[in-house]
Amino acid sequence: MTLTAQDWLDKIRALPPTRRVRIMNVCGGHERSITMAGLRTALPANIELIPGPGCPVCVCPEEDVYQAMQLALRANVVLVAFGDMLRVPVNVAKGEPRSLEQAKAAGADVRPIASPREAVLIARQHPQRQVVFFAAGFETTTAPVAAMLLEGVPENLFVLLSGRLTWPAVAMLLDSDTPGFDALVAPGHVATIMGPEEWAFVVEKHHMPAAVAGFTPLSLLAATYSVLRQLLEGECFLDNCYPEVVRPGGNRTAQAQLMQALHIVDANWRGIGIIPASGYALNAQFAAHDARIRFADFDTAARKHAGQMPPGCDCARVVLGRIYPNQCKLYGAACTPRTPIGPCMVSDEGACRIWWAGGIRERATGTVPP
Amino acid sequence: MCLGIPMQIVAIDGYNARCTAKGVMRDVSLFLLQDEPLAVNDYVIVHVGYAIQKMTEQEAHSTWELLDEMLALEAGEADAAESS
Ligand code: SF4
Repeated sequence: MTLTAQDWLDKIRALPPTRRVRIMNVCGGHERSITMAGLRTALPANIELIPGPGCPVCVCPEEDVYQAMQLALRANVVLVAFGDMLRVPVNVAKGEPRSLEQAKAAGADVRPIASPREAVLIARQHPQRQVVFFAAGFETTTAPVAAMLLEGVPENLFVLLSGRLTWPAVAMLLDSDTPGFDALVAPGHVATIMGPEEWAFVVEKHHMPAAVAGFTPLSLLAATYSVLRQLLEGECFLDNCYPEVVRPGGNRTAQAQLMQALHIVDANWRGIGIIPASGYALNAQFAAHDARIRFADFDTAARKHAGQMPPGCDCARVVLGRIYPNQCKLYGAACTPRTPIGPCMVSDEGACRIWWAGGIRERATGTVPP
Repeated sequence: MCLGIPMQIVAIDGYNARCTAKGVMRDVSLFLLQDEPLAVNDYVIVHVGYAIQKMTEQEAHSTWELLDEMLALEAGEADAAESS
């Protein structure tokens, strides 16, 4: 017999009552399904679902966005990036372009793409131009970038890579004094590529329940039930609630390609700082296509608030699950998807944008999490 | 972004596949699944133009349903926001 989402909800409601349980997810796709399906209100009040570090665009270094804009403003450059990167704001003086979109309005050739393959196509169509592919993303998005490089790219294509690994941010939270959550729902498509085993440290080192979930409410509720059962029984293991796609070991071909084209480096997360071994960089073999090597750094030490979130924006704490989106003072007031202040309101994977799209209009008072 | 869309393979040419999802056709790279035996009619989950794993027909259908529901909800929200 296969269970429906309602069955899983009934099973969760039938569990003996517990203290407050905070379950973190680290995937914009999970957060979107949770919010759109209304899972928070459907679950008992003591169960809190906390959006954590699940938005690569939100933590893309401010300096990288600034660099992409400066490159885009050069006459010979076509700057291509995934669509939700275009409105991410940088901190510049009034009157200067604040995003790739505004750089475009100022004359830069900026084009949104939906796939690395489009970057290759555009480079082939414009052999006289330098095409810079600004690529931010987690493992699921970075593996296709690696595949693109290995398949062979035109000479005039350069990659400005801001690829990030998902688990090191969770490891950082768990190693801190106040992780802020009691169980983890691990990201389904990251695990599809990297294998569910990557998340074993949550269970083995931190003795915290964990379950890999897919994107249907069914899978998310199954994972929620699993971690609650693990908590109640005091015995945790890494559950896989998305076995149709997440196989033991993951997609080993994709992992091999990631390591063949890229290597892992300490990386900066906007508003958060350096997280050890949490980013990807191009291997020496692809130096001729590495925008970080090929072009000078345009940033100046004098630029104010470089690297930070926009003034007043609480995205860093939203990303770390320290506050809910609507606990930011600007949520819904100065900051809406139409007039976004911070990257969490820009990206489709940003918790602020997802909550707004889900109809949450009220600002929360007080401080709910930790 | 990591959501991924299930698609069905219509034709394969090397590492490229013509795929369909509910009437929409797309060219998809099979480069990340090159060690996986793939055939026409198989379902794959596609992320930024690359197939990242095979999936069953049943799983593909339930994911399509979910995507439809979410799109409908978001369209509703957008309307509400426009009219408010
Ligand atoms: S509501 Fe806007 S300003 Fe506040 S954290 Fe979210 S994106 Fe930043």
